[in-house]
Amino acid sequence: MFVRLSLLCSAAALAAAQPNVLLDAMSQEMTRNFTILKQKADPAPYFLSYEITETEMHSLTGTLGTVDVNNGGKNRTLDVSIRVGAPELDNYHRTGGNAGQFTSGSTMTYEDDVDSIKRRLWLDTDRAYRAAAERLIRIKTNTQVRVAATDASGDFSTEPPSVTVEKLPKLKFDLEAWAERARKLSARFGNYPSVLTSHVSVSAMTDTRYFVNTEGSRIAHGRGFARVVISASGKATDGTDVSSFETFEAVDPDGLPDDKPLIAAIDRVANDVVALLHAPEAEPFVGPAIFSGRAAGVFFHEIFGHRVEGHRQKDESEGQTFTKSVGTKVLPDFLSVVFDPTERKAAGVDLNGWYDYDDEGVKARPVLAVDKGVLKTFLMSRSPIQGFDHSNGHGRRQPGLEVVSRQSNLIVQSTNAVSDTRLRQMLIEEAKKQNKPYGLYFRDITGGFTTTARAGLQAFKVIPVIVYRVYTDGRPDELVRGADIVGTPLASFAKILATSDKPEVFNGYCGAESGSVPVSAVSPAILVSEIEIEKKAKSNDRPPLLPQPTDMEPKGVGK
Amino acid sequence: MRILLAAAAAVGLTAVALAQAPVADPVIVAMRDEAARSSKLNLPNLQPPYFVEYVLDEADSFAVSANLGGLISRRRDVFREPEVHVRVGDYKFDNTNFAGGGFGGSRYDLEAFPVENAYPVLRRYLWLETDSAYKGALEALSRKRAAMGNIQQGEQLNDFAHALPVHYVKPFGRLAIDEDEWATRVRKLSGIFAKFPQVKDSRVDLQSAEGGYYVVNSEGTEVKAVENVTYVRARATAQSPDGMTVRDAVAFHSLDVAHMASETEMGRGVTAMAENVVALAKAARGEDYSGPVLFEGMAGAQIFAEVLGKNLAPLRRPAGGRGGSAPAGDLEGKMGARVLPDTFDVVDDPTQKEWRGRPLFGSYEVDREGVIPKPLRLVEKGVLKAVLLTRQPVKGFEGSNGRARLPGAGAANYADISNLFVSSSETIPAADLKKKLLELIQARSKPYGIIVRKMDFPSSAALDEVRSLLQASQGAAHPVSMPLLVYKVFPDGREELVRGLRFRGFTARSLKDILAAGDDQRVFEFLDNEAPFALIGSTSFTAETCVVAPSILIDDLELHPAEEEQPKLPVVPAPDIKR
Repeated sequence: MFVRLSLLCSAAALAAAQPNVLLDAMSQEMTRNFTILKQKADPAPYFLSYEITETEMHSLTGTLGTVDVNNGGKNRTLDVSIRVGAPELDNYHRTGGNAGQFTSGSTMTYEDDVDSIKRRLWLDTDRAYRAAAERLIRIKTNTQVRVAATDASGDFSTEPPSVTVEKLPKLKFDLEAWAERARKLSARFGNYPSVLTSHVSVSAMTDTRYFVNTEGSRIAHGRGFARVVISASGKATDGTDVSSFETFEAVDPDGLPDDKPLIAAIDRVANDVVALLHAPEAEPFVGPAIFSGRAAGVFFHEIFGHRVEGHRQKDESEGQTFTKSVGTKVLPDFLSVVFDPTERKAAGVDLNGWYDYDDEGVKARPVLAVDKGVLKTFLMSRSPIQGFDHSNGHGRRQPGLEVVSRQSNLIVQSTNAVSDTRLRQMLIEEAKKQNKPYGLYFRDITGGFTTTARAGLQAFKVIPVIVYRVYTDGRPDELVRGADIVGTPLASFAKILATSDKPEVFNGYCGAESGSVPVSAVSPAILVSEIEIEKKAKSNDRPPLLPQPTDMEPKGVGK
Repeated sequence: MRILLAAAAAVGLTAVALAQAPVADPVIVAMRDEAARSSKLNLPNLQPPYFVEYVLDEADSFAVSANLGGLISRRRDVFREPEVHVRVGDYKFDNTNFAGGGFGGSRYDLEAFPVENAYPVLRRYLWLETDSAYKGALEALSRKRAAMGNIQQGEQLNDFAHALPVHYVKPFGRLAIDEDEWATRVRKLSGIFAKFPQVKDSRVDLQSAEGGYYVVNSEGTEVKAVENVTYVRARATAQSPDGMTVRDAVAFHSLDVAHMASETEMGRGVTAMAENVVALAKAARGEDYSGPVLFEGMAGAQIFAEVLGKNLAPLRRPAGGRGGSAPAGDLEGKMGARVLPDTFDVVDDPTQKEWRGRPLFGSYEVDREGVIPKPLRLVEKGVLKAVLLTRQPVKGFEGSNGRARLPGAGAANYADISNLFVSSSETIPAADLKKKLLELIQARSKPYGIIVRKMDFPSSAALDEVRSLLQASQGAAHPVSMPLLVYKVFPDGREELVRGLRFRGFTARSLKDILAAGDDQRVFEFLDNEAPFALIGSTSFTAETCVVAPSILIDDLELHPAEEEQPKLPVVPAPDIKR
């Protein structure tokens, strides 16, 4: 074991990249390809950009006192964006919900070997150019036979170039120390025999992005991500799978908590699973509820955030919930929502969704999407929509996929904030008013789905893991299991009555067309007058047929 | 060697003890204890399993890839990959060999199999995985029983063959490799392509792994078998003026790092391969050809590996497949029939350790089902005498001969060759084979003959190329890969490299038309897998195999040019190389 660990550590000590060698190779090859293609290719490109994402990662998982190390190593991925035609109509033009896929996210050398770098850039530029030219020709034929789209805005906005080389992140992760901690921490789950599976995972990563485009942008920037995930699961006698988890995020592994809060979290997660195993199944219910700050954050991310992503307003296959709502009230007037990728911390917690430049090289900035209930703007990449000609720095992607507008740090601000105690009283009052025996308290939500496509039902489903019934008659709160929250977005927002005065942070990764991107949601707890829950689909398997092996010492092992 | 092992003969015999490790291995003990507990599962209304087996592959591996002097990736990993096989029913009729199975079972969030040997954690993992597999097996068996009510079966094959319990435990080594030195070497090898600006794309990969597999089952088998491999592989492509992509590859294998080819030798091999690619890009397109083809050196061994080797493992078709079953292999039903000229003998021998002083690449002592293999005389005087078998009964055969080398679907494994020795009692000097080819074409007034010096096996093709090859092969069980180095040879002995040719209708039946064998014996080592053309990188499991065979001249083969549309050349010329 120690042999392996020390090997991994020596790998981590590799010299950091020299941004100038890479950026120089990128701009030279970009200029050479662009110049020749403009002279000789038909149709000619009018824009070319390269983005290289360098990641370095270490992760390990502790399970009941054992540790498994996964050395992700270092790698670089190349994304080429080439635009043929003109900004008014190019190969990225959206038709039928599709904007084309031109980059292939090739893995390339992570060393500053100019020959190898340039060869990969050349090969991938050629491949992307062919795909781009082919799609443009198809689109031009297509636009002649179809009715004109309602939104006649162009395909690419003009933005000022950015030139900056930031201080780049370096991966520092004490693998041996963390392995020992994960070993000790994960062993603690041994105190909970009814927990079937449990893990304490630790990961540390740096993500550095190098960007050049033919408009003069030249950027190198990056950040670190460190994370501890504590998870456990069990299986109830009726087959229901129950699980709980807690995560801790920081930019740097040094920012992760020390053992004490981690131990407390392990106990909470384990106790949640044990409690869930014995909790009654939730019944379908319509009535008032409180979402904890973290749960409310996820709720806003799923139900509101995805619907203000700019490209959805232009796409006629999308539901376009808010497309025509700019300047009108979409939330109660005591709520504002800002997407702020420049914010690095909230409520004392490092945020996951910050960055300095987006994946189109546009500088990050706060975007006030909703001001006192009124919708002001959308999240914009460089794909313009009617009335919004410019990017606001929210064009994001996972390497290998095309950029679309995505969320960053979603922050809900409230002017109708009360204390947690008062909010709980209000919940009970509301339940009484509605003649309900109880209201609900959603403490944690794992995530959810929302359909924004027009062809689908314009509804959402979010998946709470920890839900309590809060009784009006003073009985203690009761944990229930197996509930899903369902609803339609516009109706749900109108029912928010008040919020708490304490913002909480949910850090996570959001998956959509352009892949998985790190995001955060910051929100106070919210009280809603009406929410609907339905029974979750559940497994019919029996719990393990044999009891867990109790003889924890092997019989035949010689010492 | 008897082919059909009577099932009864194998039952009740005592265990064969080959080697006994002094200290019990915690993995084996955990597997033994959990297998014993699981097979005693006695629950109301549920049939207990009659067979529980754990297979665990373990590797300590180092991998480096490079392009034009720059590293693309570099990793050191230790991993374990478990398989849990639970059979319910009995040897005659169980939950396997059924097309409608493969679902059910609980899903537990277990993540990776623990790499540390903590007995309680190993037990716990096996407990939950066995539970899941057992529930899946019960579900599959009940579905199979229901489906069988509606199917008229031709021959009733048993589902699982008996085998002797085996004890065989050898310690795994730890990978001792100078990582920096090898990274430098791979980087350097990849830099060779910088001297060939016409090469469009290239890559050099090194993988070195030490480890092996565990097999523990409820019949009492306990195996820990060592499997080590190191290889360096280089691949390159270029584009002809008409747009056709041409490529070549070269690989160096060894059972351990210490026995790898020298840097100079690998450098020479990579350079020769780069020269091939450049020559291919300039070569003329091949044309339709029908007539004798000489497979020289490595190509002769490749033909036996692919055309014969791939057909020596009969396929078991799952019941309830609704007619979508796999096509018949070329040698199915050919037992006792002539499959090669009567001068030919073919032996598969995993027990032989070296040949002419060189360690043999395909040797092993016990297979993935815990069966000890023996040498097999597959073909005697041209007549098919035996096939490669696992514990999965196939039409005409029941009882393993220890050839389970690759994991298959469900609890089954694929049979594969080990060290395949092909010999002929009548040979002519290898140098005279070309003369013989020229005589043949002159006698038939053909303008030229064909020599093949390298086949694309195992294939380094891109996926779309494989797809088009498979489409063109029209459902053959084992279509033949494309030849990479093909030469026209004219009556005056002059040779001309041509590109873009493929075989049509080349099957194991064509081997009956071997006209002559050379007195050369070429060792061809390769990593086999179950994908078409043993496509490199298509599966995570490979079997180390080796073929020793002569050059051969085969009559009446057909070649035709590839007909795919070709991409245009890039508008922008390649960037200059600085070094």
